[in-house]
Amino acid sequence: MRHDTFVLSLMWRETRNCVKSANLSDLAWVVLGGSAFLAYGAGNAVVALRRGSETLRARQEPWIIVLLAAFALGLAGGVILSKVAWSRAFAPFLKALPLSITERRRMAAVAALSIGAPFVVLAGAGVGAACLRVDKPYAAAWGFGAGTTCAAGVASALYLQLFVANNEAPDDLSTPFANAAKCIPAPWLATFDRAAPAWLGAWACGLPAGALRLTARLFATSFLFVLAAALAIGASLARHEAAPAAVAGMIGGLIAFMISLRCHPLGSPVLRTTPQGFMSVWLRLLRLPLVLSAVCFVAPASAAVIAEPSAWTTPVASGLCLLILNGAYAVFAGFFLNAPLVAALAFFIAIAYAGYEFLEYGDTVIIGFAALIALLWHKSLRRYRHG
Amino acid sequence: MDKSAALDVLTVRGVSAGYRGRRIVADISVELRFGDVLGLLGANGSGKSTLLKAVTGQIRLMAGTVAIAGVDLEQAPERAKAELGLAIDGPELPSALSGRQYLELVASIRSCAASDWPCSDVVSRLGLSAWLARPIAEYSLGTRAKISIAAALLGSPKLLIFDESLNGLDPLAAFEVKEMIRELAATGRHAIVVSTHVVETVPALCTRAIFLADGRIVEHWNTQELAQASQAPGAFESCVMKALNAHALQSAAVA
Repeated sequence: MRHDTFVLSLMWRETRNCVKSANLSDLAWVVLGGSAFLAYGAGNAVVALRRGSETLRARQEPWIIVLLAAFALGLAGGVILSKVAWSRAFAPFLKALPLSITERRRMAAVAALSIGAPFVVLAGAGVGAACLRVDKPYAAAWGFGAGTTCAAGVASALYLQLFVANNEAPDDLSTPFANAAKCIPAPWLATFDRAAPAWLGAWACGLPAGALRLTARLFATSFLFVLAAALAIGASLARHEAAPAAVAGMIGGLIAFMISLRCHPLGSPVLRTTPQGFMSVWLRLLRLPLVLSAVCFVAPASAAVIAEPSAWTTPVASGLCLLILNGAYAVFAGFFLNAPLVAALAFFIAIAYAGYEFLEYGDTVIIGFAALIALLWHKSLRRYRHG
Repeated sequence: MDKSAALDVLTVRGVSAGYRGRRIVADISVELRFGDVLGLLGANGSGKSTLLKAVTGQIRLMAGTVAIAGVDLEQAPERAKAELGLAIDGPELPSALSGRQYLELVASIRSCAASDWPCSDVVSRLGLSAWLARPIAEYSLGTRAKISIAAALLGSPKLLIFDESLNGLDPLAAFEVKEMIRELAATGRHAIVVSTHVVETVPALCTRAIFLADGRIVEHWNTQELAQASQAPGAFESCVMKALNAHALQSAAVA
C-alpha cells in the first residue's frame, strides 16, 4: 500500500527537523560527548570481558541471562517504538483523512519494525562480538540467539500494543473528559492543591477539573504496589528482619514519585509570564508526588521497625536515601519536562553508571553525580527564565 | 529615572530577539504610557509574537532592554512580571483544569481574589458563566480566548497584552472585549497592547499603532493619524496595505 511508509517518513522528518533546529553547541555536546561516552563504555566492557573470560567461556548461565536481557530490551524498545509510531499514525493532520484503523496499524507497524530491525541486529552483533572476545564456542549461534530473542521481544511488544491493546485512536490530551463517566471527584486533592499556585498538581498530573480518572492502568498499578508492599512486609515480619520492608518502602516510594511527577507546567507561558520564580514552581510541583511517595514508604518502613526494633536505623536510612533519590529525579524531570519516560531512563542510566563507577573511584563519583544534578538544574532554570 | 520614564508602563529600547541565535526582531523601541492602547500590526512571520514573547520575558533579549512599570525585565523578572497580564494563547492553556481552577491558579499567583477584575462582571460579559466548571479541554477556540482574557485581567495588572486574542471570539464577546479595553484605557491605570490581523479594529480601538515587517518597525501611527485614517470605511486598511506594499518593493529592490 502506498501509505505504508507514511509514519516512518513522518518520524524521519521529525528527527531531521529536531536536529536542524538544535543549537550547534548542543549538537556538539551530544555527538562528541556521546561518542566519548560510548567509547569509554565499550572499553570498560572489553576490560570486564577479559577479566571474566574464563568463567564466561566455561559457564552457560551468564549467557542465558544475556538472552533474557535481550528479550527484555526488545520488549521495552518495542513498547516505546510502537507507542510513538501509533501516536504518529493519529497525528492531527492525519486524523481527518479517510484511513482505516487497519491502515494506520500497518503504517505504525512498518515504522516500528523498520526502526527496531537495526537495534535487533546491533544486539545480536554485540553479543556475538562479546562471545568472540572471550573465545566462547558457537559465538555466532549465541549472537544469533540474542538477536532472535531481542526480535521476539520487539515483535511481542508490537503485537500487544498495535494489534491487541489499540483498537481506537490514542488518548487525546486535549479531550481528557472523553471518559467523563469514569471520573470521580477528589475533594481531598484540594487540600494538597490549594496552595499557590493553586491547582498546579491537578494540572501537572492531567486530572480533569481536579477529578480522578479511574482507569485499568491505575487499578493495576495500585494492585502491584499493594502486592509488593504486602510481600515485603510479610517477609520482614516472618524473618524478623527490617531490610526487606525498608528496601521495598524505598523502591516503592521512588517509583510512586517517578510515576506521579510531571513537570510540563515549567515550560508553560501560563507560569513563565507571571511573577512566579522557578524554585517555587518546581517545589510546588513536587508536593503531590512527595505525598504519594511518603504514603508508599510509610507502611513498609513501619513494618520494618516492628519486625526488628533494634534495627530502626535501616528504615530511617532508606527514608533519607529515598528523599535524596526523589530530589535527584525531580531535577531530571525538570530538565526533561515534556518527556517523563526519557527523564526516568536518563535517571536510571545515571544512577547505574554512578553505581558502577563507584566501585572503582569511590566517593569522587558522588561529586560527579552532584555536578550533573547542578548542571541540569542550572539549565532548567535558564530555560524557565529565558526560553 | 527621569520624570517621563516614570510615567511609562512599558519601555522597550533597542530590543533584538529571536530563537537559537537567529534574530527575528531587531532594534525595536516603543514606549507606552497609562491610557495608551497600542495596535501591533504585521504580516504572518513579521515578528509580532516574537516581540511580545521578548516583552513578556519568554525569550532572552539579544540586545536592548525592556522595563515594565519602571522595573527592568532582565534584572528583576519576577517584579516586572507582577505588573503584566498576558492573554495566553488558547493551546497553551492548562487543558486539564476547569475554567474556574485556571482563574484560581492565576489569582493565587497574583495574590488576589479570583474575581478581582478591573472592570465589573467580566465572566458574564464574556458569556463564560456556563463554562467555568468544565475543563478547558472542552472549550472552543473562542471560549479559550475568553478565559484567557479574563485571566489576564485578574489582579488589574498595569500592562495588558492581547496577542491575537480577538481571533475566534463571537461578535458579542468581541464587542465586549473591545469595550473593556476602551474602559480600561480610559481609567488611566493601564496600558494595553493589542496584536491583531483585524486591521479595521485598530483605529476604532487603539490610540497608537505600529506596523512590523521583517522584524522591524516600518510604519507607525499616532492618535491623530489613526483618527484621520479611519474617517472613511476601509481607509486605514488601505493605509496598511500601502505600507505593506512599499516595504515589499523596498525589500525586492534590496534583494
